[in-house]
Amino acid sequence: MKHELELTVQAWLDGELPDHEARRMGELIAHDSEAAALAAELGCIRQAMFRQEAPVPLAESREFYWSKVQRQIQREATVRAPEGVPWYARLRRYMGPLVGAAALACLLVLAIVRNGSPAFDEISSTSDGMEAVTFHDQSAQMTVVWLQDSSAATDVQPVQKIIPHENESGTVIDLE
Amino acid sequence: MDPDKSALMEADLVRMAREGDLASFEELVARHRDKVYARAYSMMRNEEEALDLSQDAWVKGWQRLAQFQGDSSFITWMTRIVINLCLDQLRKHKRQRAESIEAMEEEGGVERQMPVITTNPTAGLERVELRERIDRALAQLSHEHRTVLVLHEFEELEYKEIAKRMKCSIGTVMSRLFYARRRMASLLAGLRREGSE
Repeated sequence: MKHELELTVQAWLDGELPDHEARRMGELIAHDSEAAALAAELGCIRQAMFRQEAPVPLAESREFYWSKVQRQIQREATVRAPEGVPWYARLRRYMGPLVGAAALACLLVLAIVRNGSPAFDEISSTSDGMEAVTFHDQSAQMTVVWLQDSSAATDVQPVQKIIPHENESGTVIDLE
Repeated sequence: MDPDKSALMEADLVRMAREGDLASFEELVARHRDKVYARAYSMMRNEEEALDLSQDAWVKGWQRLAQFQGDSSFITWMTRIVINLCLDQLRKHKRQRAESIEAMEEEGGVERQMPVITTNPTAGLERVELRERIDRALAQLSHEHRTVLVLHEFEELEYKEIAKRMKCSIGTVMSRLFYARRRMASLLAGLRREGSE
């Protein structure tokens, strides 16, 4: 029997099929011995288990069991914000860090505008035939510059300039 | 223990607990702690974990009392809370287990090959013995199969509701339920043979 049909037999047994499908399945089970046997087995287990959960006695005494619940309730009540705190006090709690972060962002923007763009943008070339390719690695705090003389048909000449991160600002590399 | 509280109706205790009366809540815990613990135990099969989770459920129940609208009974509402905590805990366990074992359990290859049990393995059993055998058989199922059976047969939840709680598809629920029942039939038949020997 296909697994899909097995599951449909089960769904029929559990009353999970719509009416028209349940009727069709009922007819199939009446005429198919294999489906009928499966339905009987599944139904038997369903019937046997219905409201037959074994009672599980709790070994703890009422007082002992409750004491842990009570302690936990009281502990969490002190951790949580008290209900009586006014709304503006709660707002201030969240707004403080937000205002601080916004101020810091403004200062950063101002600093960038005043100091101009970073060092590798200030690389200048004295020759029209020279092309420069820069690679800046923030994690290693270095900038690598490749130079190529496009007028002479030569390969890329790796002229490596390592610029320490702290000196980036305002550094000009003279490429000769 | 407050003797005055024990005489009160459950609805009154719930109302007073919602107003912040911890003593009323304690009475509710005393009345239903066995059921909440039993549900946790049936899903976890570990006394210590079941105890912790049932107590956590009461703490959550207290914190969420305002959300209890009385659409279901208080114990049904509490049982749902402990079930959700157990499912979260089982998901944590699942992440720690090897994927290969998971896949084997999910496929249900063994259960599909088992011959159909034609004689009722629980016929003629007294209630106590029947419950004891069901409990022993349940203990041998995987967490996934046991959970789906507990939710369907004991909590009487529909496929859709089980899928929602177990965060899986209805197809997966149907499949797990099918394999779980087939395995239960085989285990109960085995227990019957043992009993007759």
